[in-house]
Amino acid sequence: MTQEQTADRPRVDAYEKVLGRALYAADQPIAGLLHGMTVPATIAKGRIEAIDLTAATNVRGVVRIFTHDDFSQIKTTPAARGAYGRPSKGYQPMTGPIVRHRGEPVALVVAETLEAAIEGAEAVKVRYAEEAFSAAMEDDRASREPEPESQLSSGDAETAFATASHRIDVEYLHPQQHHNPIELISTTAAFEDGELRIYEGTQAASAFAGGLAGMMGMDPTRLRGVSPYTGGGFGQKNGIQEQSVLVASAAILLRRPVKLVMPRGQLFHTASYRPRSRHRVRLGADEQGRLLAGLYETVQQNSRYDGFGCEHGANPPRMYGYGAWLGSDRIVRVDTQTPGHQRAPHEHPSSYATECAMDELAEAVGMDPVELRIANDAQRDPITGKPFSSRHLADCLRRGAELFDWNRRSREPGALVAENGDLIGLGVACGSYKGSMTPAVTTLRLFASGRCEIATSGHEMGQGIRSVIAAELIDVLGVDPEKLDIRIGDTGHAPQHVTAGSWGTGSAAPAARSAAVKLREELNLLTGSALSEEPIHLQLARTRRPVLEVTVNTIPLGKDAQVIEQLRRGIPSTTGPEYPEFMAFSWIAHFAEVHLEASTGRVRVKRVVSVADCGRVMNRRTAESQVRGGVIWGIGAALREVGETDPRFGGVLNNDLAEYVVPVNADIGAIDVDFIDQPDFKLNPSGVKGLGEVAMVGATAAVVNAVYNATGRRIRHLPIRIEDLL
Amino acid sequence: MRSLSYIRAKTVREATEAFAAAGEGACYISGGTTLYDLMKLGVERPHHLIDIASLEGADRIDTGGDVLFFGAGALMADVAEDEVVRRDYPVLAESLSKAASQQLRNMATVGGNLLQRTRCPYFRNGTIGAYPCNKREPGSGCAAIGGLDRTQAVLGVSDACTAVSPGDWPVALTAMDARIQLQGPTGERTIPIAEFYLLPGKTPHFEFAIMPGEIVTGISVPKTEAGRRSTYLKVRDRESYAFALASAAVALAMDGDHVRRAHIALGGVATRPWRAREAESLLNGRAIDAEIALAAGRAAFADARAGKHNAFKIELGARTLADAIMTAGRKMQ
Repeated sequence: MTQEQTADRPRVDAYEKVLGRALYAADQPIAGLLHGMTVPATIAKGRIEAIDLTAATNVRGVVRIFTHDDFSQIKTTPAARGAYGRPSKGYQPMTGPIVRHRGEPVALVVAETLEAAIEGAEAVKVRYAEEAFSAAMEDDRASREPEPESQLSSGDAETAFATASHRIDVEYLHPQQHHNPIELISTTAAFEDGELRIYEGTQAASAFAGGLAGMMGMDPTRLRGVSPYTGGGFGQKNGIQEQSVLVASAAILLRRPVKLVMPRGQLFHTASYRPRSRHRVRLGADEQGRLLAGLYETVQQNSRYDGFGCEHGANPPRMYGYGAWLGSDRIVRVDTQTPGHQRAPHEHPSSYATECAMDELAEAVGMDPVELRIANDAQRDPITGKPFSSRHLADCLRRGAELFDWNRRSREPGALVAENGDLIGLGVACGSYKGSMTPAVTTLRLFASGRCEIATSGHEMGQGIRSVIAAELIDVLGVDPEKLDIRIGDTGHAPQHVTAGSWGTGSAAPAARSAAVKLREELNLLTGSALSEEPIHLQLARTRRPVLEVTVNTIPLGKDAQVIEQLRRGIPSTTGPEYPEFMAFSWIAHFAEVHLEASTGRVRVKRVVSVADCGRVMNRRTAESQVRGGVIWGIGAALREVGETDPRFGGVLNNDLAEYVVPVNADIGAIDVDFIDQPDFKLNPSGVKGLGEVAMVGATAAVVNAVYNATGRRIRHLPIRIEDLL
Repeated sequence: MRSLSYIRAKTVREATEAFAAAGEGACYISGGTTLYDLMKLGVERPHHLIDIASLEGADRIDTGGDVLFFGAGALMADVAEDEVVRRDYPVLAESLSKAASQQLRNMATVGGNLLQRTRCPYFRNGTIGAYPCNKREPGSGCAAIGGLDRTQAVLGVSDACTAVSPGDWPVALTAMDARIQLQGPTGERTIPIAEFYLLPGKTPHFEFAIMPGEIVTGISVPKTEAGRRSTYLKVRDRESYAFALASAAVALAMDGDHVRRAHIALGGVATRPWRAREAESLLNGRAIDAEIALAAGRAAFADARAGKHNAFKIELGARTLADAIMTAGRKMQ
């Protein structure tokens, strides 16, 4: 294995995508396709009293309008929705005459054209009986769950905190955010070759056979999930959508293929989102800045009917060598759709709160924030006592500080001033993300012609998983990238895991690698002698075999063969971060430089330096791209993004890309990325940990801490907007 | 399906006749960047579209005469990039180049831009049920008042509506005393831009002093030396591709160090492009420094009325204007 081979290679699907040849789920050319459009509920809670379809039915081109009367047979099962939260009953809209959140579908219009479907949907008249609701967790009607979702502790944190020389006790607020992948969520259901195919740009093609079949009372083997490409997932596409079963059922009832592309304005109300959360952080340190105690209590918004877990407390105690720790996470139920995983789902908000609190502690102790973190570096997890499989966080901090020229920072806020009078602020923060893996079933075929086919578990959502698989095949077999056919995201080719939680690369790379190694071994048996440097397909050709096929099950560390059966049945079967012998995490340090316009308080992020420890870097180009994307999201979270809810109405008012403000190019300055690039072979034979999510963990805190360094003001809510600094 | 007729007119007369013949639901369309958006949102539901994008000579830009003349069909991008406009009237060029995106400016016309409608989220949002909105449905009330009003206006508001006038170009034109040329079934007329935009009062659904069937055919701007010392400053929630939280168009005619005549208008803070006469009076006859600039900024907002979440716009607007005055004052004649 050489660095050159995997260092900086273009994505294998780059040209296909740039030329628009890549067919996404909603692009599939299917004959006789019907178009669907949902009618969203215009109340936040209540009952449907009547639905008048007269006008809608008369719209030319409308084929059929479905309401809850048509779908009462659909079963809501815990596996079907919210599969990755806590098991609970869940809720499928349109199975009864009730409305549980604003914007949920109350009717589905199916027509010969999209235009007719839209017009039909607009013509559906629904009469509701409204009920009182709570739109936000601060509302009087919001219900606080009595028991914490999770609790972690070690030692006597309360006492250690009470007697510490330096104490920080602060509360940070994180707002609701929405993923907004550019590819809208679509569902196409079509009967092809005697099976029902669901085309959906998803991170979980197996969720259909695993969940949808059960909801519809179908034999799971007759249902195939296909996710050809996913145009950004970020966790919003990691399960069955509110629309999926409605479209599939409509196709069955009409005996024709049906497609629905959910408009963005509705997606803000039907798809998952990052819930609002509050974080109380208490840190106690001795005179030298040694962390004696951390106490961390969080509260997170949730829906009334589902269980998206609150796990903010999982990572912060692993960041530093706390003498003692106590954490608890609670949920508050309100009348919205169920929140879910959004890139670094809990790690991002918790790093925001705790890494800003660390900055406050550094100031209280009178220590440099980089030094404070290095002084509290840990090689063992304070909660379990286990060592980390690898941890180069201190190196990330040291290298980042050097690249960033951290030494120019003054402890005195506002001391650095740019030539144009802008105040310059410098901030640092760190992040971590669990090192997880998931099983895979891989079939690899090498043809004597040089063609090489691989079918395995995983979804391409822009992160570059095809390129990672290609890199391992090229590395082990030396095959021609032009002759590679990589089949992923399709349950017709291989069982599919949910591609999320930054375990994509850590699972796909070892899977591809072990299949390639096995193929070499098989070929070795055929040739009877050690393989030469000659192209491998020529060596195969000489054995007079047209093709050689191997199938490999990869079982992640700490699991047994049973996990393959779970994978086949679509049951989540990931590992990590705790393994028998160690804890596994990726680590990162971010440094941010902000410039603040003195007159208006406008903040511009001029430069970010990020150094990550993600194990081996599989492809420098896609890895840097991942980190830049994560950092940009972190900047957006710090200064731009918030889903706005009017408590009188519920729902999200700014439900489009014009009003839901994300950064544009002009908002982003330089982002310099570097990697420690030390393989973690304890975790897997490819030496990789995850990168997709750790990339953004801590980035927001670095920006917020930089704003403090520029202004001397601690702003403990997000986003920090112009009115906060005016 | 909802039927929609479409014709492309070659002359103004052809367009106005088609409008009259079409009856209810007729609508002119030019660049389409606003109308298509509003149609998708269900705010506009025209039955007949009369395309006036290719009227003969409608895209004429003439900077050679006594006035600057912009045909209503001239593209925002073309006016923004015109050499004379950039050199002698930067306030006009900047107001265009800071609006929307290059792609939109390549389609949108400077005449159509005058008629852009508010970005008030309650007005625009019909996705999950139309909110009470006196613009959208007269008499239904105003959800923005007492609601999420962070981006609403603080100047020119009424108890019926606080929606912000969204444009940048109309703000610059207001500062520069532009005149709007209109042509309709009954003939041609020209009105000062100050009379083109209506305050919401009790009838916020009336926004423009334009008669049914009338077409904006051109915009003229009197030539003035103040144009060279001018600027358009726009402060928003991100650095590009967003509407103003506060903006200021400033042009200064100077006698040595002293302001002879200031032209000032504000955007993002008012229910119409807002001429700031109080600020102008304060500057006229005075030398410019940071203190007087901020005083002028504050004077412009003396009558401001804030809602629940938008009080910051009063201070932000004043400082934005002050920064714009300082920038314009520093420019060489």
